[in-house]
Amino acid sequence: MSWKIWSLKKSPWVFHVNAGACNNCDIEIVNLLTPKFDVERFGIKLVGSPRHADALLVTGVGTRQAAIRLREVYRQTPKPCVVFCIGACACGTGIFEGGYHVAGPIDKIIREVDPNAIIAYVPGCPPKPEAMISGVVKALSAI
Amino acid sequence: MSIPLNILFWIVVIPGTVVLGLIASWIVRKVSALVQWRVGPPLLQPLYDIMKLMGKEILVPQDAQQTVFIAAPLVGLAGILLLSIMLWRIAIVQTAFLGDIIVAIYLMTLPSLALILGSSASASPHASLGTAREMKLVMGYELSLVLAFIVVIIKTGGQISLAAIAQQAPVLSISGFLAFLVALLCIQAKLGFVPFDIAEAETELGSGVLMEYSGALLAVWKLAQAVMLVGLPLFLVMVFLGGFGTAGLSLVWGIGKYVLILVLLILIKNTNPRVRIDQAMKFFWFYCGITLVIAIILAMIGYYSGISWL
Amino acid sequence: MNQQELKDKLTEIKDKLTEIQQPLDDRIFLLCEAENAYAVNKFLFEDVPLRFVIATGIDSDDCFEVLYHYAYDQLGFVITVRAFIRDCENPSIESISPFLPGAEWTEREIHDLLGIDFKNHPDMRRLILADDWPEGVYPLRKKKAGETAKQWPCETSVRPTTESPARRAVQLSKPILVVGPFHPLQEEMEFFQLSVDGEIVTDIDMRISYNHRGIEGISETLQFDQVPFLVSRVCGICSASHPLAYVQAVEDIAGVTPPERALYVRVIINELERIHSHMLWVGLAGHFIGYDTVFMWAWRYREPVLDLLEEITGNRNNYGNVKVGGCREDIPDETVPKILKELDKLEKKTEMLTKAVLDDPIIHARLKGVGVLSKEDAIKYAVAGPTARGSGIAIDVRRDDSYAAYADLDWKVITQPEGDVFAKAVVRLLEVLEAVKIIRQAVKKLPKGPVAVEVKEIPPGEGCGHAEAPRGETFHYVRSDGGNRPVRHKIRAPSYVNVPSFRASCIGEHIADVTITLAAVDPCYSCTERLAIVDGRGSVLHGYEELHRLSCEKTARLKKEIDPPQWKLEDF
Repeated sequence: MSWKIWSLKKSPWVFHVNAGACNNCDIEIVNLLTPKFDVERFGIKLVGSPRHADALLVTGVGTRQAAIRLREVYRQTPKPCVVFCIGACACGTGIFEGGYHVAGPIDKIIREVDPNAIIAYVPGCPPKPEAMISGVVKALSAI
Repeated sequence: MSIPLNILFWIVVIPGTVVLGLIASWIVRKVSALVQWRVGPPLLQPLYDIMKLMGKEILVPQDAQQTVFIAAPLVGLAGILLLSIMLWRIAIVQTAFLGDIIVAIYLMTLPSLALILGSSASASPHASLGTAREMKLVMGYELSLVLAFIVVIIKTGGQISLAAIAQQAPVLSISGFLAFLVALLCIQAKLGFVPFDIAEAETELGSGVLMEYSGALLAVWKLAQAVMLVGLPLFLVMVFLGGFGTAGLSLVWGIGKYVLILVLLILIKNTNPRVRIDQAMKFFWFYCGITLVIAIILAMIGYYSGISWL
Repeated sequence: MNQQELKDKLTEIKDKLTEIQQPLDDRIFLLCEAENAYAVNKFLFEDVPLRFVIATGIDSDDCFEVLYHYAYDQLGFVITVRAFIRDCENPSIESISPFLPGAEWTEREIHDLLGIDFKNHPDMRRLILADDWPEGVYPLRKKKAGETAKQWPCETSVRPTTESPARRAVQLSKPILVVGPFHPLQEEMEFFQLSVDGEIVTDIDMRISYNHRGIEGISETLQFDQVPFLVSRVCGICSASHPLAYVQAVEDIAGVTPPERALYVRVIINELERIHSHMLWVGLAGHFIGYDTVFMWAWRYREPVLDLLEEITGNRNNYGNVKVGGCREDIPDETVPKILKELDKLEKKTEMLTKAVLDDPIIHARLKGVGVLSKEDAIKYAVAGPTARGSGIAIDVRRDDSYAAYADLDWKVITQPEGDVFAKAVVRLLEVLEAVKIIRQAVKKLPKGPVAVEVKEIPPGEGCGHAEAPRGETFHYVRSDGGNRPVRHKIRAPSYVNVPSFRASCIGEHIADVTITLAAVDPCYSCTERLAIVDGRGSVLHGYEELHRLSCEKTARLKKEIDPPQWKLEDF
């Protein structure tokens, strides 16, 4: 495993993107990033610009309007980066399958820009904060 | 100094300063975490951060001024590294020269200027807010910082050589103490720590001057910030606290003084909320200005009348 | 007015109607042709007067229909005007927005989704469909054989620009400084745009579409018993109220009454949701004005309520506890003592917090007189929930058109007359205490018996169901043709009418008060994050972070002027 990926695993900086979510997952993410869970132990830091990010925490099903922006954010994130699909909607459209305004699950949207994107899935509706930490840590150790 | 030791010095100084800077920035983060009842990052975290950033691709914005954009972090790092090398050399090898304090002040402004240039070359509407604020901040504290050093120079009778200044400990006099406090807060602003992290909120979310930087260039900025944690407190130690010795007890004493300044910086950082840019300007120009005028007057009285504790 | 007087009043406009139907005691449908709809609406809104709820557009086989739903709160009636548009090629109808600003958004939405033209609408821009959605394609029109939604693929090469079809040119001051937004996508600062003159807000515009998942369209493809799971996810925090409103609408059509135990279980779950939703709001409001202690406290005390809900229903949010005919799951008897214990603890803490808020001079100075929504504006924008009750309008679906078991329980509707942010905060805090009271009674009176009745078929018909979500009235309209899927399902979330009222409450306010004024209507969390002040060319002047900081600084300034009591976390 290259040293780039190794150091990325040690210091994943995350950027939160809401691509058309019902807010449950977003609220659990806010819970996650409060001092109570102390994700700085893992080197995780919430950054305010996608250019500083190593991981995108994407929630929501990916509506058409949001998809345009999401692709833009992905382009602005320097590679290598990991996209975390948080929640059932992001993992596979969940209950919004077949909607006319749904541009597809997040991995479909991201792969349109970059077929080799690294994507990890944290399912749940919404996933509890502990589940999210566990998912992020597991995904990072599996890369 | 003998030639092998000299060579050893030159080999060790840059990596040593970098390592020391990374350790210092870890100390800052760990203490801040403990104050918030958290565990905080592991020891090598700043190193991991920089390694990771080196491995990411560099995205240069389309409309950015490419040369300036790329050169700015390098200039900033070079400036602060040069300052640190100079200070270590003076401390360890005693090669001070006349006017070196002026060179040091000049080198100290390079990182801030580089930040301003780099962010304004980003062509990003978001970063330009940070640029404007950083410029205002720099205008605020640079004058206070230089005036604080002038207080010290007055106390040494006009000798502008760090060797002479480092012999004394101006902080043990009233004017020196006042100047030390002001200089400490100016260093706080230069490092971009709370309460003066207006331009680049490092621990918080939000846009900042470095918003458009990524990859290895961002790593260079982070490295420059880490090395600033070595160079700037060291400069304060040499100017105000009586120098950094090299032999035995004075070495331990010197390290102690350096750690004291770090601790003060961290304490101020963790016990204050962020201030607005106009409040910061008012603070530096008005309050620090008045303090320094008083200090200068006291220093002059003290020098001319021979009272050393004024 | 009592029932007879209401009916007599409605007959005054009889000459413009083709028919009056009353399928249930408290549901009246007035049928008319499109040409007369404007006069009928004006009469109902101004002369009766009724409260506007929402408008629904339907593509029936041989014509278009626009349904205007009104509520008469004193009797709990829902009165719907069904306007038939016979011209299927170029359907159009007169807009009612000139006298009813609360209908602006819904008419824009019907235009987007069905292509009905609203004449004389002040601002017919795209509202709810994406910028790259093709013109002339109306997703809610009935599809011809073989058509599916997948025929409108997204252009992956589309990059966002500042010229979106929904952006309105905002005239304004010179660009000063620029900041990016707080959380999400950098370019997405066109969600809320405020025009400012110096430091005072002069206008506001909103772009919504990011969360539009086409739920009404998906609902038409699901069976009646699958829909509750879908609508539970319309909004994460009102996730118990939406399915309840839908299920009540369908129960109206089917003529089914759930067993008593089911009604009480529904009350318990919905009130627990109200508690944790208001706690969330209290925390966010505290965060917006810089009282982060309140933020940490409120979110910390939400957690036991969420754990309780997880124990009862299996999930912290998205409970999935209602179905047509009753509830899916029962509350086991072992949980009852736990509920009561948790409520005791929560009640004590909430009482302390309420007293602290009502007494704190800083909060008074910060929130009183800020973001005032006058009673007249509140009626014109047809707001609901604490936003309305904070402006002195005493409407609450739980009392007006009593559903579930609320009629059997003893509780009060909380109102405050001032209309400012402080009033809304007081309303929400006191509602938490009322909710605790309600749950206690419901738990004690919980009758034995089954929690659901079997419902085999949904006959043709239409039903309107509403429930009081934490943010206000949630309204669902369902039309069935006897099959096993809804023909049309209209969802109106309370924020849909509350958020546009921002225009009335925010204009004239200082930009430091913008975040708290918007938060006072309690939109969903990520709505508030997408807030920015722009100038005429679309560059952002102030992002959300800047506005938040201004808000906290104002509080700090006030703190210095007024010396307040110190709060410590240990006090709670």
